[in-house]
Amino acid sequence: MSAPPAQRADAPQTPDKPQAPDKPPTWRRVAAIVVFAALAAVPWLGSDVLVQFGINALLLAVLAQAWNVIGGYAGYASFGNSVFYGLGAYGVGIAMVQWHLPFAVGLALGAAIAVVFALTLGWAVLRLRGHYFAIATLGVAQVMAAIVSNVELAGRNVGLVLPPLNDDRLFYWLALALLAAATLSVAWLTRSRFGFGLIAIRENEEGAAVMGVHTTLYKALAFAIAAFFSALAGGIHAYWITFLDPESAFDISLNVRMIIMAVFGGPGTVLGPIVGALSLSAISELLSSEVTNIAGLFFGVVVVAAVVLMPRGLADAVRGVRLHGWGYFARNVKAHRL
Amino acid sequence: MSDSASASAASPAAPLLEVRSATRRFAGLVAVDDVSFSLAPNEILGLIGPNGAGKTTLVSLVSGTLAPTSGEIVFEGRRIEGLPAFRRAHLGIGRTFQIMRPFPGLSVLDNVAVGALFGRGGGTRTGLAQAREEARACLDQVGMGAQAGQRADQLGGPGRKRLELAKALAMQPKLLLCDEVMAGLTHVEVDEVVDVIRQVRARGIAVLVIEHVIHAIKSLSDRLLVLHHGEKIADGPTDEVLRSDAVIEAYLGKRRA
Repeated sequence: MSAPPAQRADAPQTPDKPQAPDKPPTWRRVAAIVVFAALAAVPWLGSDVLVQFGINALLLAVLAQAWNVIGGYAGYASFGNSVFYGLGAYGVGIAMVQWHLPFAVGLALGAAIAVVFALTLGWAVLRLRGHYFAIATLGVAQVMAAIVSNVELAGRNVGLVLPPLNDDRLFYWLALALLAAATLSVAWLTRSRFGFGLIAIRENEEGAAVMGVHTTLYKALAFAIAAFFSALAGGIHAYWITFLDPESAFDISLNVRMIIMAVFGGPGTVLGPIVGALSLSAISELLSSEVTNIAGLFFGVVVVAAVVLMPRGLADAVRGVRLHGWGYFARNVKAHRL
Repeated sequence: MSDSASASAASPAAPLLEVRSATRRFAGLVAVDDVSFSLAPNEILGLIGPNGAGKTTLVSLVSGTLAPTSGEIVFEGRRIEGLPAFRRAHLGIGRTFQIMRPFPGLSVLDNVAVGALFGRGGGTRTGLAQAREEARACLDQVGMGAQAGQRADQLGGPGRKRLELAKALAMQPKLLLCDEVMAGLTHVEVDEVVDVIRQVRARGIAVLVIEHVIHAIKSLSDRLLVLHHGEKIADGPTDEVLRSDAVIEAYLGKRRA
């Protein structure tokens, strides 16, 4: 985990503790830097398999963290984030394959397209709330795959084959840097007026508007931030696996995974989505290597157990266990009458 | 500076808020029907009427939660009926909700801090620490200082009422719209809230109070506006209005001859 200033005590949604001053405690910063350094050292110390697992897990963590901005903080459960991921992938694909531009230009192109798309789409669909918003964004993902399948420039439904670059270490560090950037942004969010506005929107949108929060603008910006980081993750992934087609680029199940990971770790917290993404990736990896055939089943059991025992995520569970002991889990089961 | 001084000298009684022929229809129902009134700076106006008279709808038209079907709303000489709620908050209109709208997962203190961060002028405070400081002062004012660290959804009804008031106060409004902030409070608590509203007015803030607690409204209001079936049936000095036949009729039915 590239854990930057992880000021849990300062995050607005932890009122149990006395209000800490705006600066996170020093030991958290130190811990964050140590963890970041350890993760950065993996390519030198670990095996190739570990590095490849790491790239996937880190990119998923970026996606979960990006989803956290719109879903966790603003409270809008987006199923459109895989579209941003796909647009980022196609930005790199088209730039490199069709126009022979450098990778970095492709990344910037994909991110720009995704951000513009998020702002346009956001203005329209962010007026919808709850299930309606989820369904509307779900539709967008389907439509986008269909559109791209018919665009010559994007290689229609055959897809694009990118020039190979066999340097897993580089991809690993890129993914890690991106995760650090996304997490620093979220950490800044929790201490900013902007982030406070997003949380107010999540907690009660009408109440927020009456108190002066420009709700439409804030939601659209949150959507754009999510789009930016998702697109970069998509671009890195595309170049790494050197192939993309509409089906894999605009895959809804990827969106479902980022939601599960963010919610598993703790939505609306700085570190929750990272912990969720890395731990679930690890669990899923272990299961598929140990019990290949029924790995999916075990994975489902883990997710269901998590939802029943700690519906507010790992971050809340850690705090809850500290406060109430192991009874925390029993409390959750009781509270939701399961 | 001389400009504003001469302007206020020229029209000492310029209204802060003027509602002109405001009407709001919901499908077949006319919730607010051609209502006009004005509110001077520093004035406390009581708004009463039987249930379903359109009081909350009228407040929503002013705060921007609802748009009027027709009519004008003028705040400090500027038409605002087309502005969204958050812009009106920036201009200095703060409101409380009868059906409370706290931010349930936030602490009581942070609920109020939202007002300091985003209220009048787009927020008087930009830093979280300062906003919380200001929020604390507002909580102390409504007597909730001790509950600052609690989660808002752990508060009982009376606590939530006070929280609504503190949230609106933290916005540093010029006009405070109070929608039944005293309902369900004990006698002592009502008197405390009455005191708070008096202090608010003493700071030069105009207040519109919807209230059913009649002794509170009597002791607070300079003037009383009465709605019935969406129409304005009385508007004048409190005692006079409460004695008028139209008002007694609206509440109690026609007097027998």
